[in-house]
Amino acid sequence: MKKALVLLLCLITIISSVFAQGAKEEVDTNQPITLEFWTHEDDARQALEERYIAEFQELHPNVTVNVTRQSAEKLRELVQTAFAAGEGPSFFNLPIENEFQYIEAGRVAPADYETLGFKDAKDLLNAYADGMIDAVYYDGDIYGLPLETTNWSIFLNKKVFRDAGLDPEKDYPKTWEDMVEVSKKIIIRDGDIIQRRGFDFRYSYELTYFVPMVEQLGGALSESEGCVNKDAWVKALTFMQNWGPQGENLGNPTLTAARKLFNKDNNDIAMCNTGLYQEARILSDNPNFYNSGEWMVVPYPVFENAVKDVAGCYYAHFYMVNADASAAEQKMAWELIKYMLLTPGHAEEYLTNVGLIQPTKALLESDTYASMPYSDVFKNDFARAHITYYGKGATAIQSAINSAIKQVMLQGADPAAAYDALQKNVMEILAD
Amino acid sequence: MKTKKYSIERKQARWGFAFTVPCLVFFAIFSFYPIISAFITSLTNRDAIKRTWDFIGFDNYVYLFTQSNGGFSLMNSLKATGIFTIGTFIPMVVVSLLLAVLIMQLRRPSHSKIFELAFYTPAVLSSVVAATIWMILFQPTGLFNQLTNTIMRTSGRDYQWLTSDAMLRASTIIVYFWKYIGYFTILFITGLASIPPTIYEAAIVDGSSRWHTFWKITLPLLKPTIMLVSIMAMLQCLKTFSTQYMFVQGGTAREPIDVITMNIYYTGVVNRRLGRSSAMSIILFVIMLFFTFLQFKTQKGDEDVEY
Amino acid sequence: MNNNKFVGKVGIGEILTYVVLILVLIFTLMPLLFMVTAAFMDAKQIMSMPYTWIPSRKYFTTETRTFFTNFQKAILGNHGEKIFFRNLINSLVVAFTCSLTTVLMASLCGYGLAKFNFRGKTAVFMAIMSTMMIPFEAIMIPLYLVASKFRLINTIPGLIIPFLVSAFGVFQMRQYLITFPGEYLDAARVDGLSEFKIYYRIVLPNSTPVIATLGILSFRNQWDNLLWPLLCSQAEKMKTIPLYISKFAEEKQTDEGALMACALLASIPMFILFFSLSKYFLGGAAVYESRKG
Repeated sequence: MKKALVLLLCLITIISSVFAQGAKEEVDTNQPITLEFWTHEDDARQALEERYIAEFQELHPNVTVNVTRQSAEKLRELVQTAFAAGEGPSFFNLPIENEFQYIEAGRVAPADYETLGFKDAKDLLNAYADGMIDAVYYDGDIYGLPLETTNWSIFLNKKVFRDAGLDPEKDYPKTWEDMVEVSKKIIIRDGDIIQRRGFDFRYSYELTYFVPMVEQLGGALSESEGCVNKDAWVKALTFMQNWGPQGENLGNPTLTAARKLFNKDNNDIAMCNTGLYQEARILSDNPNFYNSGEWMVVPYPVFENAVKDVAGCYYAHFYMVNADASAAEQKMAWELIKYMLLTPGHAEEYLTNVGLIQPTKALLESDTYASMPYSDVFKNDFARAHITYYGKGATAIQSAINSAIKQVMLQGADPAAAYDALQKNVMEILAD
Repeated sequence: MKTKKYSIERKQARWGFAFTVPCLVFFAIFSFYPIISAFITSLTNRDAIKRTWDFIGFDNYVYLFTQSNGGFSLMNSLKATGIFTIGTFIPMVVVSLLLAVLIMQLRRPSHSKIFELAFYTPAVLSSVVAATIWMILFQPTGLFNQLTNTIMRTSGRDYQWLTSDAMLRASTIIVYFWKYIGYFTILFITGLASIPPTIYEAAIVDGSSRWHTFWKITLPLLKPTIMLVSIMAMLQCLKTFSTQYMFVQGGTAREPIDVITMNIYYTGVVNRRLGRSSAMSIILFVIMLFFTFLQFKTQKGDEDVEY
Repeated sequence: MNNNKFVGKVGIGEILTYVVLILVLIFTLMPLLFMVTAAFMDAKQIMSMPYTWIPSRKYFTTETRTFFTNFQKAILGNHGEKIFFRNLINSLVVAFTCSLTTVLMASLCGYGLAKFNFRGKTAVFMAIMSTMMIPFEAIMIPLYLVASKFRLINTIPGLIIPFLVSAFGVFQMRQYLITFPGEYLDAARVDGLSEFKIYYRIVLPNSTPVIATLGILSFRNQWDNLLWPLLCSQAEKMKTIPLYISKFAEEKQTDEGALMACALLASIPMFILFFSLSKYFLGGAAVYESRKG
């Protein structure tokens, strides 16, 4: 009797476990589901996505969406900490140089092609312009959908140019050497103290703006050999040194970021390095300036004796889904991503309202894209650009380059010595 | 009788222990468990994102003492922390003691109150606010640079408060000094006030000079307070984080002010190397233990100053 | 009360003392004055050289601007999120609760350590003291794990619980109570008061100065806490004031004036608390007059 009871119990356990597994495969998306969505701050996008999410919740009343918005830097740290603790949001986005590692570590799930309405990975790849989402194509699967691919060109304030006796249409800088000369004409100082700058770099995003400058001179950043071609790197570092307080004193990383000042049109900055989305921000921050047409966008400069024509790198943000989320949560997350990004008309809205480009073939060929002010400039720069380095140790390498630049600019280090230290550090990061 | 007294003592001992239990439990969960867990992590190659990790013995420690950690080595951090700590806590203890003595000399209590209040006010601000204010003041166009120009009788010079290495270090020290000087002054005033006036009266009757009184009477009597304040000031300086962090966020170079806590943060939270950053935390913990122990040791002889 | 004060006529020493103190006074108050004045200014005026201390209309760049535009921006947020007060309340609740529990738990533990003899007392004391040496950065991640296990992330208790008591508080209470006259306690015992009653009827009421000092100190520490809320409060609504400011400072639209207005607003509760309690710890008041007679 006792034995029989034990046997029965065993049987029940086995059956129920089999059952439970069977039930797992049938994803129940009608149960109450809470989605945690973590993203970086962007006003215009927030307005847009809040609307999309509200609409989505009307279609799926069982779904609650909690959105957490952080500044880009905090978001990266927060997502990492949460994943370290075995938690993390249902889905999130980060720039690819910070996000690729999640794919490698198997922390994000491959795209749910069926939910997204595609046959398979190839079919999904085909919807996007060539090579645009290769970064998330890993081991035969696609791990994220692009929210934006962005490159930075040069925004220019015509008023400041004219104020300095320059003609913006003719005198805008084509080369980095021009950039120095033009900035020297625009800059206003009281003694050493800068009160108006011509241009300043976007420090701490060295992978995006500085590595292409090195490449123009024939150098490269490679996952196997680190900082390739010492000569090119030293030249680029020397250029930065000359730019800073140790040289011509045209700008430095401790001053207020150029793109922060640009929108205000306060006669304190003439040019800054930023993406198409800046247009939406100028419009919302300072509509008078936007409508005055006193700004324009010019291509990313190259060095006079450049050996390679490279524009500023483009970076990409992808929406990725947490592989540890329950099956229902994952499915719903893809459902929401699909609703936000792929619903007809939404890509155009992201472009016109926020200035974000989803690199779908459809959007890039659309009239909406062509009619965005200066989209041709960005498009041409895009054609001569490549994606930022997102391989091993990208974050650490970026800090190492940033540190080298600060050493030559602020601390007066010798560029050759700074390069040697940089190369040693980068190799160490890569070997790690 | 004897046994009864014994049992009362035991009963009391139990009460005494019971009173400490809530705190002990709390520290066990929120301090001991995490630090032990940090030590175990320091023996692994744990990465924030990777699912698995291995025990690698003391490799992290060896790495930290021999390699550059991607350009931000532990050695550099030790140096930065050392410069900051010595540059801050010694002047701070000396100046706050001096200020406390000066304030205590004032004959109008209302004046002493005003000075105390004014000196302490910066301590009320949060570090984020303090760093935010000073980042604006230290700009080349900012007030502090203007003031330096006035004092040095120059014009239009950029004293590079945020750019040159030495000045950047000095800037973080100034912010910290500004923020905590009043706090330590008040601690010293408390210590000074607890010295019974009769001792001074005797000294004055003896005809000893003010200076003499300070060196021979005040200072020795104040020794326990000085010890306590310097330990606290030193530990606080070793743990400094927000000022340096806010400065680096504001675009200054990281290397000169890459104090250990900041390196821990960047290595672990930003660069994902949890194992290595835990090893750094353990090193910092040991350093702090060592210095506290040393100070307690030197103080031991004259711990019980009786008035 | 004559602690070597100046006596007799005004001498050179006294003048020198005032000169030194006033110089330090200028150094400590200048940045504060900058914050207060800049809060009413347009960014253009703040950055003008030399710095003009009086906010003036002539620097205004738009017609709609008033002296309070900065404060409006600080409270409404750059995009009108209006969560300033929500975050302010979070900060107040967290800081107030923490200072209350710190005082209670630290005094209980400090009393146990100061006035009782039991085996392992030194060990307990040293163990608690050693936690002072633990840098928060070291335990941040393990703490996050604990907090997430107990579902404390994004909750007010999550912000409070890791800071219920501080080792320094225990230390301070012990130092104070160690000189507490034992006769009071013995008398109470003879009267038949239980040990716990002795604690809250006799020990607590006679420790007001140290409680005030410790209370305001822990309040300040929590008010200032940046790192833990950074990890623990992810939702806007759960953030605290330091996070609000640092986020506000990072935003591209924020100008210096609005930032200073925000800093000023965030400091007001601390100023109020500090000034209203100042009598407890200024002028050596914490020297426990009750005890020294």
